[in-house]
Amino acid sequence: MITWLEEHGWMEILVWIVKIGLIFGGLISAGALMTLAERKFSAWMQYRIGPNRVGPWGLLQPLADGVKFIFKESLSPAGANKTLFRFAPVLAALPAFLTIAVIPFSHDVILGGHNFGPIAIANIDVGVLYILSIGGLSVYGIILGGWASNSKYSLMGGLRASAQMISYELTLILTILAVIALSGTLNLQEISAGQKTIGEWNVWSQPFGFVLFVIAMFAETNRHPFDFAECEAELVAGFHTEYSAMKFALFFLGEYSAMVVISCLATVLFLGGPSVPFLPEAHWLLGFGAFMAKTSIFLFLFIWVRWTLPRFRFDQLMRLGWKVALPLALLNLLVTGTFVSLNLNLYSWLRSLV
Amino acid sequence: MVIVKRKELSFSEKLYLPEVLRGLSITFRKMFEPKITRQYPEEALETTEVTRGQPRLVVKADNTIACVSCGLCEAACPAYAITIDGGETDRAIEREPVRFDIDMLRCILCGFCEEACPKDAIFMSDELELADYSREALIYDMDKLKRPIAALQHRIDYVKRINDRWQTPSST
Repeated sequence: MITWLEEHGWMEILVWIVKIGLIFGGLISAGALMTLAERKFSAWMQYRIGPNRVGPWGLLQPLADGVKFIFKESLSPAGANKTLFRFAPVLAALPAFLTIAVIPFSHDVILGGHNFGPIAIANIDVGVLYILSIGGLSVYGIILGGWASNSKYSLMGGLRASAQMISYELTLILTILAVIALSGTLNLQEISAGQKTIGEWNVWSQPFGFVLFVIAMFAETNRHPFDFAECEAELVAGFHTEYSAMKFALFFLGEYSAMVVISCLATVLFLGGPSVPFLPEAHWLLGFGAFMAKTSIFLFLFIWVRWTLPRFRFDQLMRLGWKVALPLALLNLLVTGTFVSLNLNLYSWLRSLV
Repeated sequence: MVIVKRKELSFSEKLYLPEVLRGLSITFRKMFEPKITRQYPEEALETTEVTRGQPRLVVKADNTIACVSCGLCEAACPAYAITIDGGETDRAIEREPVRFDIDMLRCILCGFCEEACPKDAIFMSDELELADYSREALIYDMDKLKRPIAALQHRIDYVKRINDRWQTPSST
């Protein structure tokens, strides 16, 4: 401990604590704001105004909701497995909080001549693997919540959600694999550093993979049109039917945090992370703003799609996942792998054809 | 039995994505269209002369009420909301109510009292809001029911016009 302290120094530890506070607080508030954004945008799309009573433009609505959640009665069904019933919401929310640690939000922060490193909690060489393995745990929260509730709706929701998340996780991993093949690293900071200019963004070399990633990303976060975990029309509320008060709020927070994290991941993998279009040497603050803007686009897409599309039927979802998305992702990986192993650049190859 | 053949999807529809994008463009455009929400407590409901709100007693220009406590509205009321006690008065009409209560929790705003009244003393106002902290407070007595004739004039004109419409020349 002492040697570790001597090695790093108080300054570095302080910087870490500030970064952790910033990122974690940002994640929680982004999740809370997403609930407001969801309601606002859905209202606008339906010619309504949306929440506007608490604070200016209803900005304090998430706070009011939070207070309400805290004071609500926490019910648990008679036949529920009490331990797992309490544990499931934690397990549902935890993966999102853990995975945010490896997302690099900006270039190196330079304040008063000091280089504080990028806004990221951890810089690990297997960042992508870490995100996928921890993110894969979120299915446990949902299926445990569904099973421990001792209710048929919850169980059905949990089972459907787990089947769906496992099927689409393959597509997600395969599309990410194609990006990894291109950038040659599993370190998220290096992946984003490899996309300095707008022309180098992976979305241009992986347009197909990008579309598949976005589809799989919707399924992974259990969002419309793949929200079989909830299925309001068929399963009351799916896996969280029996939950109330803060336990329910945790499920909610977990869902929205997972959306935020996967949007950040999509930004890093495909949209160049903090790279500002046409300004490769931009200030780090501008890069941070660019990262936020790109992430917001994905987050808006989540809400936008939810209030536009109807839900798939379950067999359609499985058909799309196994018969369409997975073979296409495999094909995409194969083509990418061929190009990479033959040391071809798609862009220069296309240029040479013209 | 009618057998409806399901329409075969075209190739672009089977791809889903073009149709998804079309749907997205629709919802995006709708976001910027005018909102139809009425911010109720701030934006009051529009009332017209046809609006049948809560019944009110007419206070005439000479500051007296027209009611002669005949009890016709009490008898007509299907919800038994009206209670009247009659008394004598020195005025030309000889009788006036000493007590005229309408239980607003019972009142169904049907307007039968307005139709039954032979003296044009009770009319349906355009007042619609009804809220209080106790049941007792919602039993309105005469003081709460009195409204100057000017406030009810457009309803009075409307009712008279409608009644005139059905009157044949021989009956007038």
